[in-house]
This record gives sequence, C-alpha cells and structure tokens, in this order.
Amino acid sequence: MHFMKLESLASMAEMELRRLRHDPFEILTRAVQPILWIFVFGSVMARIRAFPSVGDYVTFITPGVILQSSTFISLAYGIALIFERESGILKKLLTSPIPRSYIVVGRALAGSIRASTQYVIVLASAAIIGARISSNPLNLITGYLVLILACMGFTGLSILIASSLKTRERFMGIIGAITMPLFFASNALYPIEVMPDVIKYFSLANPLTYTVSAMRKLLVSNSYDILQETLILSCFTVLALGVAIKSLKRIIE
Amino acid sequence: MRAIEVRDLVKVYGREVRALDGVSLDVEEGSVHALLGPNGAGKTTLIRVVTTQLRPNGGVARVFGYDVTRDSSMVRELIGYVPQEMSLWSDLSGYENMLIYSKIYGIPRDSRDKKIEELLDFMGLSDSSRRLVRTYSGGMIRRLEIAIALMHNPRLLILDEPTIGLDPRARSLVWDKISEFRKENGVTVFFATHYMDEADKYANYVTLLNQGRVVTHGAPSELKRLVEGNRVLITFKEHADNSKLSKIISSVPGVTIHSFNNDHVELVVDDVPTKLPTILEKIFANGYLVSEVKVREATLDEVFIKLTGRKITEEAGRIKEVVSVRKMIRRGG
Repeated sequence: MHFMKLESLASMAEMELRRLRHDPFEILTRAVQPILWIFVFGSVMARIRAFPSVGDYVTFITPGVILQSSTFISLAYGIALIFERESGILKKLLTSPIPRSYIVVGRALAGSIRASTQYVIVLASAAIIGARISSNPLNLITGYLVLILACMGFTGLSILIASSLKTRERFMGIIGAITMPLFFASNALYPIEVMPDVIKYFSLANPLTYTVSAMRKLLVSNSYDILQETLILSCFTVLALGVAIKSLKRIIE
Repeated sequence: MRAIEVRDLVKVYGREVRALDGVSLDVEEGSVHALLGPNGAGKTTLIRVVTTQLRPNGGVARVFGYDVTRDSSMVRELIGYVPQEMSLWSDLSGYENMLIYSKIYGIPRDSRDKKIEELLDFMGLSDSSRRLVRTYSGGMIRRLEIAIALMHNPRLLILDEPTIGLDPRARSLVWDKISEFRKENGVTVFFATHYMDEADKYANYVTLLNQGRVVTHGAPSELKRLVEGNRVLITFKEHADNSKLSKIISSVPGVTIHSFNNDHVELVVDDVPTKLPTILEKIFANGYLVSEVKVREATLDEVFIKLTGRKITEEAGRIKEVVSVRKMIRRGG
C-alpha cells in the first residue's frame, strides 16, 4: 500500500508534465525574460566591467538568471491551487485516500519540475554567447537536483501563501511584491561583498543566495563544496513544505 | 449496516451562519438517498462534512461505522465523491484525467488500464477519451467525473448536484448510467439536488432539508401522501349513479374518492400509472362512458411548500447558479 502511495505522489508530477506537453506556452514566454537578462543585461554589464572580482560577467550571472526565472515560476505555482480551489479538484484530492502531505509534496515536485525547464533554456542561451559553463554531466545533473530542491521549497512557500490568501488578486499582489526583492537581495546579479550592510544581512537570510551559490560552484568553479548550501536549502524546503502541509486544510474551508 | 449515520450535526461558519443546525439522518446500505432542498439549505455543507472536508462543530457523522473526523482516512477509502464544481484538469485529455486519478487512488498497475477502458466505455466516452476535457460538454464532464469516482470500487457514491446546469437529455443520460452501474454493483448512492423531479424519480428515499434542518424524510410516495397524493379527475358523458360508481371505484386498492359531483369524480390515487387503467376498465365494464380524464400528480415541491412555506426551486437563483457553474466549466480546472 505504501509503495502505491509513492506512485500517487509521482502522479502529480506526471500530471504537470502532461499539461506542459499539451501547452508549453508558459515555459516559452517565461523564457523571454531570462534570455534578455543574459543577452542584453549580461553583455552590457560585461562591457563596463562593473564587478571586476567576478570574472566573466555573463558566466557569473548565468546561475542567478536560472534561479530568477525558475523561482518566479515556483512562486507563481500556488495560483494553480487557487484555481483548483474554485473548481472541484482540491475537494476531490482532499477526499481521496492519499495523505494530505502527499498532495503538498507532490504538487511542490510538480511545480519545481515545471520551473526547472528554465535550467535548459538559460544554460543554452548562455552557452550561445560564450559563457564558460561546466560541461561535466555530473555537475550539470547535480546542479539540476539542487535547483529541484530549492524550487520545491519555493513552491511550498507559494502553496502556503495560496492557502492563506485564497483569492487570485491577493495572491498575485503578494507574489509580485516578494519576487523582485528576493531576486535583487541575493547574489544572483552581483557579489554579496558590494552590497550595503542591510541588504547583505537580508541576502544571507535569502534561500535564493544559497541556491545561486551552490549552482555557481557546480557550474562555474567546478567545485563540489556545496554541503553547507545543500543543508541550508534542505532546511528551507522541509520547513516550507511542513508549514504548507499544515495550512493546506485551510484552503477549502 | 448503515452507509451514513448522522446525529445532531452542527456546522457554523464564522460565528453567525448555522449551515447545519442539528441534522440527523440515516442512509441505508444499497439505497439511493436524495438530499433535497433549496439553495443554502445546507446540502453541500452536509456532504462536505460526510466526505471529511469539514470538521463539524457538534454531533457525529459516520460512514459504514467510521467516524468522519477520527477515522477520516478509512472513510476516504470507502467513498467515491463528485463535487458540485468541475473536478477535472481541463488541459488534460479525458483518458489522462482518469490515469492521473487512478494513480492518486492507488489502483494497482495491472488492473489500471482495463479498469479505465471499461469505465470509459461504460460511460460512452471511449471515442472522445483522447480529446482535451476543455472540449467536452457538461454532460460528458459529469459522466467522466462519475467514472473517476467509481474507479476504486467505492461502497458509497456521494454526488453533490450531479446534474446542475445540464439540459434534460444530458441529465437523464447521467442518471441512466448511475442506475445501470447500481444494478451491476449495488453501490449506495447519496446525492444532493434541488431538482425535486430528480429526487422523486431516482431516489427511493428522500430527506428534505431547509435552513440547516431536516424538514421531513421518507420514500417519495410516502412524502407525497402528506399533500393528499395524486389527483385524478374523471368526467362522465352523462349524469351517473353516484352510489353505484363510488362502490366500483372504491374497490380498486390504493384509490379513495375525494369528491363526487353530478358528472365528475375526483380521486386520490397512490400510483397513477398502474391504477388508472384498472379504474377505467371497471368503469367501462359497467357501461359508463367517460368524456375526460385529468391527472395531476403530487410533487415533492408541494410537500416542501406545505411544510416550510417556501419553494424548493426558485428560478432566479437557479439560473444564476447555472450560469456561474457554466462559467466555471469554461474557465476550466
């Protein structure tokens, strides 16, 4: 029975992949912004050499842009639950025999898979304009897994916000308000050393910083010194999912 | 064994709204039990408590003996449920919806495909199973949802307004499929509706609900007796012999004479389709000629009006609801 319940968890990810196959439109439109960050912002900033300590700038921001694009998708994923709350899908899921925790973890996995499509798109764009990204398959796969871990946390956060706010308007408002600060107060576009103190502290509490850092080590410096980042990210993801599971019941009340 | 047993159930939303105000009811195993009442009567709230979505503020609800709050996971194994709103992913095909739900419900891999194929075929959806649900009609959506609810062989099927917003043909097709499945599998059906004709026709037991309370309950024919049953008015070609005719008509069981004036008689008949031919045969056999027969069947609506002073179906409310449900289906999962 428990073995079969694991399959029910995986089926949520399968559902997401099937939806993507029928309609890849969101993935394509979501890719426009990161491509512009790489091609326009990246190449312009590289010319003025604003941050000499970071080496090739496009290479430096590639992990940051991957995360920008995929965290935005993860954080927006909760809207799907709000739609499913208005339709009968959530009612149906909550009355099915699978544990409620599986619904949250399954959907978080689904959301992170949707978000992780950006990994391929951004890496390919960066490679086209000559970013020096590791071509070691092991590094690329580990980088992908770190991304999935982080995106599950951000999707969990999004499910939590969706369960608490319940309406599309309020949800979109909050998501709009937190995504950009999360991106700018991180090491995605510039090294932490150049930040003013207040933003520096904020960026150290920002899970995005640790994801970008781990990804940068794997994809740029070819280093596996990512234990600290992985532990912090795991704590973030477990915490976000835990609170989201607790809050899920509220969504249909 | 009772499929559902509800005692003194109370559910309060916020502080003020008593959606359920001490509801008690029993659903016998094997029966088709309708929960009939106007919008806002508490039907959906009761269903959501029984399906383990909401915790009641008081009272108990049990499904096959399992408490809906304490043993909720057991209850979820035993029920198949179709919510009032659409519960499908409209951007997946009919087959894919069944596949994903079959995995969520843990249907064993070796029997999954056969089960899906069987149910799609049974519901007449085989040909459209590869199309996106977005392109389905309202009736197809409902039939697919019922197929999904039946996949894990539940002992109790719970339907919340199963035919809301459907045209009469689609409604009767949905019910034909439910009845056909019941004949084969004997599943207990508990459904909420505000269509009194549907409760009358398809349920063998009805609970009338109003403002969070049970108004009355019983078999449809029993309830209709509360409003003096079905009336049949027979007019004779010529002035008839009252006492002789009275005797002839009264000899048919289940028929009572309400009034007799000169050339017409008003009868109360418990089952018009089977009793009326007998009555007419007896009248003809005794040489009387009939010029006109009028039948007015009692409705559950009349029962409801008599007991509560309000109608079950308020047209304005219904149309608004239908429009919003349609909008929801269009907007999709």
